[in-house]
Amino acid sequence: MDGCSFAVPRGKISGLIGPNGSGKTTTFNLLTGLATPDSGEVIYRGENLAGLKPYQIFRKGVTRTFQVTRIFREMTVLENMLSVTGLDVPDRVARERAAELIAFVNLTHLRAEYGGRLSYGQQKLLEFARALMTDPDLILLDEPAAGVNRTLLQHLLDHIHRLEERGKTILIVEHDMGVIMNHCERIFVLDGGVKVAEGPPAEIQRDERVLEAYFGRRRVAGRTGGRRGAGAPPSEASEI
Amino acid sequence: MERSEVRSLYLLAVFLACAYTVPFLVGAWAGTVRFDERWLGNLATVVVAGVMQGGVYAMFALGLTLIFGVMRIINAAHGEMVMMGAYLTWVCFFYLGVDPLLSMVLTLPVAFLFGVAVQKLLLNAVVGQPELTALLITFGLGLTMIYTAELIFTTDFRAIPYAPGTVHLTRTIAVGQNKVISFVLAVVISTAVYLFLKLSRLGKAVRATALNAEVAMVCGVDVRRIYLITTGFGAALAAAGGALVSIQFGFNPETGVVYTLQAFAIIVLGGRGNYMGALIGGLMLAVLENLVSLMVPNGTAVVELAAYGLMIFVLLIRPGGLMGVKEG
Amino acid sequence: MTRGEHLRNLALLGTSAIALAILPHALSVYLRSFALFTMMYVVLALAWNIVSGFTGYTSFGHVAFYGIGAYASAILTADYGWHWLPTLGVGAVLAAAVGAVIGYPVLRLKGPYFAIAMLGTAEGTRVIATVWDSLTHGGLGISFPSAENSLETYDAMLTLMLVTIVVAYVVGHSRFGIRLNAIREDEVAAEALGINATLYKLAAFVLSAVFPAVAGGIQAYKVLYIDPPSVFFVQITIAMALMAMLGGKGTVIGPILGAVLLYTAQELTWVNFPTAHLIAYGLFIVLVARFMPRGLVGFAIDRGWVRKGMVH
Repeated sequence: MDGCSFAVPRGKISGLIGPNGSGKTTTFNLLTGLATPDSGEVIYRGENLAGLKPYQIFRKGVTRTFQVTRIFREMTVLENMLSVTGLDVPDRVARERAAELIAFVNLTHLRAEYGGRLSYGQQKLLEFARALMTDPDLILLDEPAAGVNRTLLQHLLDHIHRLEERGKTILIVEHDMGVIMNHCERIFVLDGGVKVAEGPPAEIQRDERVLEAYFGRRRVAGRTGGRRGAGAPPSEASEI
Repeated sequence: MERSEVRSLYLLAVFLACAYTVPFLVGAWAGTVRFDERWLGNLATVVVAGVMQGGVYAMFALGLTLIFGVMRIINAAHGEMVMMGAYLTWVCFFYLGVDPLLSMVLTLPVAFLFGVAVQKLLLNAVVGQPELTALLITFGLGLTMIYTAELIFTTDFRAIPYAPGTVHLTRTIAVGQNKVISFVLAVVISTAVYLFLKLSRLGKAVRATALNAEVAMVCGVDVRRIYLITTGFGAALAAAGGALVSIQFGFNPETGVVYTLQAFAIIVLGGRGNYMGALIGGLMLAVLENLVSLMVPNGTAVVELAAYGLMIFVLLIRPGGLMGVKEG
Repeated sequence: MTRGEHLRNLALLGTSAIALAILPHALSVYLRSFALFTMMYVVLALAWNIVSGFTGYTSFGHVAFYGIGAYASAILTADYGWHWLPTLGVGAVLAAAVGAVIGYPVLRLKGPYFAIAMLGTAEGTRVIATVWDSLTHGGLGISFPSAENSLETYDAMLTLMLVTIVVAYVVGHSRFGIRLNAIREDEVAAEALGINATLYKLAAFVLSAVFPAVAGGIQAYKVLYIDPPSVFFVQITIAMALMAMLGGKGTVIGPILGAVLLYTAQELTWVNFPTAHLIAYGLFIVLVARFMPRGLVGFAIDRGWVRKGMVH
């Protein structure tokens, strides 16, 4: 990351996009304590989280999912759910909550199965459910749509919207533009560790810098690129 | 290297420097140190002897680091393979009348095949699994080897009288001829293996597998065969170490345990999977051991402590060792 | 596990306890000894399992704590005239302290490095015990004033075993145990879920140090003589690991099964084949590690005879 700075609006769904290697997962790592910034701050509810350990940040109400699922493979689905800390509730209540969330992601029939035996899509769902055990206020989702079928994805997105209605803040990293453009209120675009754009979906779709980040600087000398679709920037033929 | 890597390297260097002064300090306090010419000559001899022994240690540590580097398997039976080499040499000497050095032509291939067999039957299946499994398997193997040797050879100490003369390197420094010969041979063999790994096609395949077995497989390397060859080489190097040890020191079935530990300490110090590191580590450990046994009262028992202590502190300061990357 | 199942297990434990308490009166001295050592290995295997089975940090040096307990007991009884029972408490506290001090740096190491570091620690402790002869009598060892104590020590070991079983059971079926398992599965992900891995690992490590220490103290008094090679015997660590692995690492019944089976097998082979038994032992280790790394309980789980997971 290189001097990147942005503010995520509370209580809304935001998106973080950018080409591969632009620093999206690194950003998540910095926000959750898996990486420490050399300079800069991470302000959450008026507190600077930079330098705190991951478990401390989690206890403050920040959870995340991972790009490649990191569920506990040799533990059952139920055990995966119960491994979360910071609940401060009696066992019985924790189990009820776990059962609710497992039911929500339709994994009840698999609750006694080892996490490692689930299909990839089911593992993603498990990770999503697990992240919600403590009813966190800031939820970071790293590519939640990857590998998930359309029906399930819709189900997930519905739940994400319901979380938003309850006042949660959600930041999604995604490559699936449909998800980002249709569900996020604000989008941040990274390229090479730097923020190149931010704004509502409509603006982002038209933003030249964003297109440049994804598709590269357009060539001059008569090649107009022939790009169709909304918001194609004017050709630079005038430069000849 | 990042900042923290450089820092840990400095810290390790400082620790090593302190480690070397400790025997002197203890000796000064216990009165075993005298600063006269004769004692200094003694000291120099001990250091030189240490370097010579270190060459042999480095050679069998090279075997261990090969196995660890390529397969991430800790061979807890490595010392027993050294012991096996020593006994094979002894048998060749006393029953076939073959010169111990010459008998390596016989014993090394036998050890190589043994290593291949062990890999094929026992270890190939557990390469990807957690290291405890391989550790237990090799430990069990080592135990079996010790007790079988006890059954065949009894627990009596054996040694091979060979090249009993001394070589005078300078006026005051005199080392046994057998030590010098062992050192030279160890260097020759280690260099040969090193060059093989660096230059030959098979050697490159081994190194590729060590770096990333999946990629190597995709590039057409028969990874399973490489594993067999690696363990074969590891066992052969250990056996060579055993042959060279047999002409310097006495041995019995249980001495292998100490060699295993020394080999561990060496590869931890030098950096796992790093060949130059094995050499440096071997030299450093042997010299430290010799200093300790010279100057610290009760030296022989404490010599083991030197190996353990070195190993543990290196693991805590910089687990990757001198030459390895910072790990852990 | 439902409450009913917990109660059932408790009842099972209770009846076994009573049976075992009555047993020694009906046994010969030799068999009493055999039972004592079997129970001791159950304790060792369960304790080892708490750290190595649950958190996955495979310790190859737990015998250090066993030896510390043995020496604490021996030194205080023989040289300072203490009654042996309180020395067990001292041994436990000492082992916990040493465990905390050593555990904190060493638990930062990964996998094989941790195993080797612990091996080095155990051997280092042995050498220290040999060399520090003003305290430990060095290689001469320490003799207890002689006493007919086979019943006393049996009862002590039985109590220890019951306590260990209960603790292991509680740990294994609690959320604490789940979190230890989570650390084993994926430490980074566990931290991201709020688990303070350093603290949990250390807690498991210290807990696992206490029981072997007490066992060592009892054993020392039973045998009435200790010296460094006998109490810092690396085979003991191997036995702990092997028993836990044979029965099933990471479960509660596993180490118990493994300890009973292996120790009995060992005694039987020793009695019948004095020379070959060690070779057989070595081979046995190889075979179990090679073909049954998930142990008997793992085997049963795979077959569906036992439910997966510890918490239901």
